[in-house]
Amino acid sequence: MAFLDRTARTFLLAELASGMALTLRYFFKRKVTINYPYEKGPISPRFKGEHALRRYPNGEERCIACKLCEAVCPAQAITIEAEPRDDGSRRTTRYDIDMTKCIYCGLCEEACPVDAIVEGPNFEFATETREELMYNKDKLLANGDRWEPEIARRLELDAPYR
Amino acid sequence: MVDMVLEFLKTPFGILVLTVIKALALLVPLLIGVAYLTYAERKVLGAMQLRKGPNVVGPFGLFQPFADAIKMIFKETVIPSGASPALFLMAPMLTFGLAMIAWAVIPVNDGWAIADINVGVLYLFAISSLGVYGVIIAGWASNSKYAFLGALRSAAQMVSYEVSMGFIMVTVLVCAGSLNLTAIVNAQKTVWFAIPLFPMFIMFFISTLAETNRSPFDIPEGESEIVAGFFVEYSSMSFALFFLGEYANMILMSSMTTILFLGGWLAPFQGTIAGELFMLIPGPIWFILKVCMILFCFLWVRATFPRYRYDQLMRLGWKVFLPFSLFYLVLVAGVLVFMGWLPHAA
Amino acid sequence: MVKVTVDGIVVDVPPGSNVLQACEAAGKEVPRFCYHERLSVAGNCRMCLVEIEKAPPKPFASCAYPVNEGMVVHTDTPMVKKGRAGVMEFLLINHPLDCPICDQGGECDLQDQAVGYGRDSSRYTEAKRAVKDKDLGPLVKTVMTRCIQCTRCIRFSAEVAGTPELGATARGETMEVGTYVQKALTSELSGNLIDICPVGALTSKPYAFVARPWELKKTDSIDVLDAVGTNIRIDARGPEVLRVLPRLNEDVNEEWLADKGRFAIDGLKRRRLDSVWVKRDGKLQKAAWTDAFEAIDAKLKGVSGDRIGAIAGDLADAESMLALKELMAALGSANIDCRVDGAAIDASRRDFYTFNTSIAGIEEADAILIIGSNPRREAPLVNARILKRSRAGRLPVAVVGPAADLTYAAQNLGDGPAVLASLIDGTHPFAATLMAASKPMIIVGQGALRRADGAAVLAAAWKLAAEVGALSDTWHGFNMLHTAAARVGGLDLGFVPGKGGKDVGGMLGGGVDVLWLLGADALDTARIGANTFVIYQGHHGDAGAARADVILPGAAYTEKDGTYVNTEGRVQRGQRAIYPPGEAREDWKILRAFSGYTGKPLPYDTIEALRARLEAVNPVFARLDILPRFGCTDATGPAEAGAISGAPFVEAVPNYYQTDPISRASPTMAECTATYVAPIQAAAE
Repeated sequence: MAFLDRTARTFLLAELASGMALTLRYFFKRKVTINYPYEKGPISPRFKGEHALRRYPNGEERCIACKLCEAVCPAQAITIEAEPRDDGSRRTTRYDIDMTKCIYCGLCEEACPVDAIVEGPNFEFATETREELMYNKDKLLANGDRWEPEIARRLELDAPYR
Repeated sequence: MVDMVLEFLKTPFGILVLTVIKALALLVPLLIGVAYLTYAERKVLGAMQLRKGPNVVGPFGLFQPFADAIKMIFKETVIPSGASPALFLMAPMLTFGLAMIAWAVIPVNDGWAIADINVGVLYLFAISSLGVYGVIIAGWASNSKYAFLGALRSAAQMVSYEVSMGFIMVTVLVCAGSLNLTAIVNAQKTVWFAIPLFPMFIMFFISTLAETNRSPFDIPEGESEIVAGFFVEYSSMSFALFFLGEYANMILMSSMTTILFLGGWLAPFQGTIAGELFMLIPGPIWFILKVCMILFCFLWVRATFPRYRYDQLMRLGWKVFLPFSLFYLVLVAGVLVFMGWLPHAA
Repeated sequence: MVKVTVDGIVVDVPPGSNVLQACEAAGKEVPRFCYHERLSVAGNCRMCLVEIEKAPPKPFASCAYPVNEGMVVHTDTPMVKKGRAGVMEFLLINHPLDCPICDQGGECDLQDQAVGYGRDSSRYTEAKRAVKDKDLGPLVKTVMTRCIQCTRCIRFSAEVAGTPELGATARGETMEVGTYVQKALTSELSGNLIDICPVGALTSKPYAFVARPWELKKTDSIDVLDAVGTNIRIDARGPEVLRVLPRLNEDVNEEWLADKGRFAIDGLKRRRLDSVWVKRDGKLQKAAWTDAFEAIDAKLKGVSGDRIGAIAGDLADAESMLALKELMAALGSANIDCRVDGAAIDASRRDFYTFNTSIAGIEEADAILIIGSNPRREAPLVNARILKRSRAGRLPVAVVGPAADLTYAAQNLGDGPAVLASLIDGTHPFAATLMAASKPMIIVGQGALRRADGAAVLAAAWKLAAEVGALSDTWHGFNMLHTAAARVGGLDLGFVPGKGGKDVGGMLGGGVDVLWLLGADALDTARIGANTFVIYQGHHGDAGAARADVILPGAAYTEKDGTYVNTEGRVQRGQRAIYPPGEAREDWKILRAFSGYTGKPLPYDTIEALRARLEAVNPVFARLDILPRFGCTDATGPAEAGAISGAPFVEAVPNYYQTDPISRASPTMAECTATYVAPIQAAAE
């Protein structure tokens, strides 16, 4: 009986029919596509997007040129040069990230002892030339100033899990 | 004035002009149909994968095919070093040309065929067999191992399935008693061949999938194994010609299925009240609707089934379809002879 | 020997050793902060705790506990681990944990050992101690809050540097290390404080925040800024030398490095000659190498060999000096000299111009007479050895020359050579001391030889050495202390006037028509004849380059593979750490290229071939790094020449911080000069 059953199913293409019925059901389901440039999906607080250098609320830059991000960067995308600032504090004179080398692993953010370098929520920073993706300190600080409210919020949301 | 035109059309030159006009009248809608078939494919696949498909270019993305066409035209035609340039460029033209030529015998309504020849089925069969050449030449001329592998697979596959397709067609021919496509359609006035020959209909449909290298029999292209198969080296218009040829072939095969099994331009349910109402709708519309239905099935199948393995494909062709169609041919012929239903029995 | 068992491993250690040394002998690493092999034991960090069987049941500070026969030591018991973890926690209570901004980060003992013994987070919530930073001068930067009071710096400055300026004030938590009154450290070895400080309390001021240790490419080399031949490690990043650290060499520098060698490297980036210059229409103009060669070649064509001369400067490597010597020979000139300062050195025998006792041999000496030298300025590490010997026990030291603070007790016998006669004839009281000594040392400095009567002083010094028994079969007590790293090498390969050749004095004042200066800046360029065509080959735009008609940019010592012979006669090799800037090339290659241009090619195309030639010229060049000690086999002295005048000796190195083109170009050294030398000079006037 089982043999007959199986043979009948085979000859009647039962499996193919059930498969096609499934896809046909999906054909009529509600679509999940987001209309991207106009609608955006939710982003996790841990999203690793464009880099930014943050400042303290008093405007002082956070980065202390400890070079841990440079050391930990697996793509060697970060270049730092440092010297004492006029007030004697340790500061970078150069902080470059080659965004074309960066693999967005977030290790720089993990390594940073002062939460200075962060990967922010921005992922829309395509440029027309490669040169524009060689970020320098000014660009990174400007990013920080631009995204600070969101970055601070995201750090706060992620803090309980650290 | 009208007389003059009619008079002119009877001269040899006039016949030529008339034929060209008829051909254009068929091919221009066909090519637009091809364009929108690609659009439909993306929309249907998208929908079955819970996506929207193209929706940015124009309303509902309707201008997407033209955007793609413009992109294709402006790309550079790359001829690989080591390729045989003449053959390399000939292959897509051949594929495209053959896909167009086949349409000469397709009747979209009673008598609406460019060449209503009495061996239409043989003509179609011959032309579709020639399609293998485009593929083989493309694969060989590309001087690329992927292209060559793709071409070999494609040739083997097309040849294999043509055998069983032939037997299936013979079954239909036995029932219709003619090689003329119009006559075959007209033979289905009482009942579409899809109903008595349902298993043949299904096998024919599956064979056309294989014949047009469509999923799940798209191993000649097999993106995940041999990149893009025989047209891996093609770009720009040469690629576009392959593309057009392939999709025109899909429509051609759908038309053949329609003609052989679904009664061509005939309205359904003839002889009932509904049938009478359906008769009000002109034949070509019915023809197009049936073709679209088959095409939807092409896309539907693509969205549903994963690609066959090469040996499975061969096994299906030679060890299932061939004996089954042979058996069914004998069975049908036997029934027809036994019952005396043979057409033109005299 | 005493038998000690450490974690089951039986080792023999000399009696008087401490437990920590026994543990080291057994290959067990014991963490420590205050203990240092070359300093006295303080035992105040308590990090080196171990457990000792059959002793009171408590952890012992292994550095301060002497070994006993049959002692059984454990270094990894729970008690030891708990004890060390506790010590670490206490040390970290007042440590600011500011590793990210600390220059010691990455090479910090506290950081490393906190990984082994520290907690992952602090339990300490009270206020931390903060200490005001001290200003220790232009070289050493302090962040005193980081200090863990190991007192290594205090012991170093007192015991090794001999300048007991650092000390601890107050007790307990308020204890602070510092100079008692605010002052700059006056030691020439102050840079070593940076190395011995186990934390980031004392760091390098010029190197502050510049780089991390893991970014640096490390190259072994030899310091050339004095004649000691200190073994150094050059740390470079990209095209820049960022710092210099000493390498361990017990026979030369132990593990110390003098400040000039450590801090003058910022001079390598300034006033560099990085392109070829040729004088046209009375003005130096940038040119191509071929232009310069063409100009030199054209000039040489019309000049006979005896009107061509060459002088090798203080920083030249042996390879380039040999190439220059042989180029001059090919040009038919015997006018070569490496004694830029005109010192009357007798090059006829090697023991006339080397530090025969050897630097390590100082520790065996039992009386020292220094003639015309201030070793503290001329060779701070030689001075540190004398101090080490002096601290070990009774060592009478006397100085003939200007009065100076040598950091150890030294009797001044007069400021001129007049006293030598009375020493030789035994009438001077110190002569008796020297006679009584079994291993007396006579150290002759360059200050005694750079005078008209230099040869006579040299002869007198040798005679004195012979008289007091310093020249025996087993002990060679005659020593010459050089100030230039190139000098002994030049003398060894015979870079002295050949037969009928002119020396430096002869070449100056119009003695030659073409003068090739190989980095020679220590001469009075005003004395060069007005019509002399001067070719300066070197790396810095200093005195020589200012007078030059053609400038050929050469490589500094960090930029070439070079062989140097130190004052002892020890042959050592430095390796290239970075590439020379701009058009500059390695010096021997310039000379080889010119020899080819002028049609008299030198027979070597590789540095290996040149070194083989060097060994052929003098076999001592084959004896790398090792220095066999010879007794004196021939007590015949250098030829006496003339009488000794009564004029007092002048210091060979009036300003320790600026002695050569590199240190003169260095901003750090300029700052040191302003801090240390200028006030003294101002006071003297």
